[in-house]
Amino acid sequence: MSSELALELREFCFSYPEPPDDQDGSSDLRKGAGERLETAGVGPINWCVSHGEFHVLTGGTGSGKTTLLRSCKPSIAPVGRRSGDLLVLGQPIEHLSCFEAAARIGYVAQSPESQMVCDTVWREMAFGLENVGVAPDVMHRRVAEVAHFFGIEPWFRRRVDELSGGQRQVLALASTLALRPSVLLLDEPTSQLDPIAEKTFLHALFRVNRELGMTVVVATHSPEAMLPYATHLAHLADGRVCVRRVEGSVSEGSRGAFGNCPETACTAAASAVSAPLAATRVVVATHADADASDVATTHAVGVTTHTDVASRAVSTCADAIICRDVYMRYDQSDFVLRGLDLRVLEGSVHALIGGNGCGKTTLLHTVAHIVRPVRGRVENRLHDSQALLPQNPKALFVCDTVLDELREWQRSAGYSDAAIDKMLASIGLTHRVSAHPYDLSGGQQQLLALAKLLLTNPSLLLLDEPTKGLDAPTKLLVATLIAKRARSGATVLLATHDLSFAARIADTITLLFDGQNACTQPAADFFSDNLFYCPPVDELARLWDARTAAAAVADGTEDHAVADGAEDHTAADGVEDRAAAADNAQVVEEGYRLAEEHAATCERVSMCGCAGNREKERP
Amino acid sequence: MLCSGATLSSGARDMQRSAFSDAGRGACACFDVLHPVVSLVYWLVLLLVGMLSFQPVVTALFFAISLAQGALIRGGREVARSLAWQLPLVAVIAVVNPLFSASGSTELFRIGFRAVYAESLLYGACMGFALVGMLITFANAARVLSADKVMQLFGGVAPVVGLMLSMTMKLVPQLVRQGRVIDSAQRACTSARPHRTLGRRERMRDAFRLSSVLLGWSMEDSLTTADAMKARGWGAAKRRTAYVRERFRTADALVLVALLIVAAAAALMCWQVCRAFSFYPVVSGIEPVWYCVPFALYGALPFLWVAGVKTKEHAL
Repeated sequence: MSSELALELREFCFSYPEPPDDQDGSSDLRKGAGERLETAGVGPINWCVSHGEFHVLTGGTGSGKTTLLRSCKPSIAPVGRRSGDLLVLGQPIEHLSCFEAAARIGYVAQSPESQMVCDTVWREMAFGLENVGVAPDVMHRRVAEVAHFFGIEPWFRRRVDELSGGQRQVLALASTLALRPSVLLLDEPTSQLDPIAEKTFLHALFRVNRELGMTVVVATHSPEAMLPYATHLAHLADGRVCVRRVEGSVSEGSRGAFGNCPETACTAAASAVSAPLAATRVVVATHADADASDVATTHAVGVTTHTDVASRAVSTCADAIICRDVYMRYDQSDFVLRGLDLRVLEGSVHALIGGNGCGKTTLLHTVAHIVRPVRGRVENRLHDSQALLPQNPKALFVCDTVLDELREWQRSAGYSDAAIDKMLASIGLTHRVSAHPYDLSGGQQQLLALAKLLLTNPSLLLLDEPTKGLDAPTKLLVATLIAKRARSGATVLLATHDLSFAARIADTITLLFDGQNACTQPAADFFSDNLFYCPPVDELARLWDARTAAAAVADGTEDHAVADGAEDHTAADGVEDRAAAADNAQVVEEGYRLAEEHAATCERVSMCGCAGNREKERP
Repeated sequence: MLCSGATLSSGARDMQRSAFSDAGRGACACFDVLHPVVSLVYWLVLLLVGMLSFQPVVTALFFAISLAQGALIRGGREVARSLAWQLPLVAVIAVVNPLFSASGSTELFRIGFRAVYAESLLYGACMGFALVGMLITFANAARVLSADKVMQLFGGVAPVVGLMLSMTMKLVPQLVRQGRVIDSAQRACTSARPHRTLGRRERMRDAFRLSSVLLGWSMEDSLTTADAMKARGWGAAKRRTAYVRERFRTADALVLVALLIVAAAAALMCWQVCRAFSFYPVVSGIEPVWYCVPFALYGALPFLWVAGVKTKEHAL
């Protein structure tokens, strides 16, 4: 306790008991909820967190962020071999009693729903205090204090299942803080939240750190939003942590223009992310220098890639979906949709954006004919060949292995084994075929669910938040898969909060507001005309632009290739598919390194990638 | 509420409904002033006396009390609607009883070899009214004593039981919601399975599939929940304490004592009335009607309470 350090790791190593062997199907060996089998272990790690600091811990999927965080909390520490020292508040972790550990170290997990224990808000807040046996009077005071701090009072008596995702996550934070921990560990706390809820949550976290002086460590794969609040950035790669102080965070008061232009804030944040990694970055540098109009141009470039394709398909086709004056509500509650009109052209990629509870999901369900509108008409010409990706991919998983999952609809939908193999390769799951779907990481689950739907060759693809909780490389892969499907003529209607994703994948954007269609515009027009709805320059934007740039560089070489291979389309297709698969696999593996190794990637992609480019040139 | 009512005709029905439930809620809220233990004791005693005192006059009184309290707490419309199936139930029990127990002395008519006696018919009617009175009283009690309040009572006495109840109350709506999500996700994918009407076997297979997905999903969730519990110190202390929102105060104690005095008088009198009474062979031993006054008073207590609270409110 006398120590200045809240968290101290000296040559700390951790490894799981035995390396998992996927090939013989022993994948049901569990290491604990949330812990996936890809992480072999972490260490040796040297990492110090002083009192009152705010560390953001980044790292790719499977780099061991969760393992590291959980190792710092005795009651949920993973089972395995450890060496070196791990001191929390100056004490070795083994010497902390269960009671002390619960009270001194707070831990907030990712899922807002399943980490709720009780049925009502006040019970949930008191739960931890009841566990450690706090006297009722003290308990009242602590609950009152924390509820007041987070503004929970208006919904203090509500039932937990009536709360929004953002409220639940704030409740999870509040009920952990009621125990008055000195160190707060959070494992991807905002990945399931929409951007606005994310901001609210991060702001609460920021106040906890600065006003209460609590030490905060957050693990995340999208650090952009958190960097303005952080004091330190810790990057975990190859089992090692490298820490860097964040310059110009809000605390140092050097971001006066923060409120005016989210673009610049995000760009600054983005450059801060990549800064500790390497030296030169062409893409990041351009963004850092760019003013607003430059940024807009960059987006326009991203958008045009598809608009070309789409305009081709769209010009020849009619409406796939027509909604006229649709009114919809659930169980006699308020109306979610109030007189909504929408037209979706066949062959287009149409994105629905809008705030929480504006009716995006309801609209998708209405279009899919899962629910019937109270008034109005919904025509869906492609209803017989549609596929819906729900918000939680688990709703689609029925089988015990990845392979069985992809085979489930093989007979009824009629696709070949070869198609399955190709799909597995393109989502980078070939080596995980015998794993249980639940043992995959969140991103892989999403990819598997999408792959399962794509195999059935749907003419209409309905996607509900396809990028929720994904890291940038996985988002890029999802975008690639969807774009590929769209190029082969399918209509895509997707609901998303992710503006960066929508700007890059959609041809047309509809803004839902107050249960109505506030506007429908081509993506480029839509984003050039907005004050608040601007796509941030995030990791996905950089990966996407890097790829687009790489494709552009490769265009010269590509021209020859197309000329040579023009006579044999089938052969070209095969090469293309393999190339695309290789490209995708590479995206998964390379992930975070892609942006910094921009030049190198250009060469690699020019050799094996460029599938998108070539398709574009086909008549 | 206002907007939806304006846009659609069905909204008007909603407004009516909410107006009625508002009427009931006003009275319900008056009981929120009391500690839940007082309410619990009141309803338990009412149910016990009403069920055990099996005598036509007391049973009729019990039935009348349950109806009046229902109108006070839940609104007249709702009680009347439930009577639509409750009264036929009374009739069925009244008619069926004589067919099974051929006792009594006043023969009304014969069906084949079996005689139907008036006493037996009266006994059946009594049974029916007692049962329906009990059902209505249960519904009234449930409205005043929400599950939340009952759990608070447990929370004070047995914290672990209270927590278990609370977790169950959270789990049920969560399972229902997840079930809906899975069902709609499976139904929406028409590209995977040709859209056609399913046979009974296929429907059963689908239902089985749905439940297995639901099981897997909720098991996975429960692991996270278990971690969240451990992370917040589950099992850290030897004895769990409980966050008690409502405290038992002197005023509650006074109301409870007054209530128990009336309850004792009512129970004693009812016991006396029932002891003297017999259905068979002839209906006999009917005590003076004023013997039932304490029970009637006991039944009127909620009215007095609501009137008292409201007068006090209006006086301000």
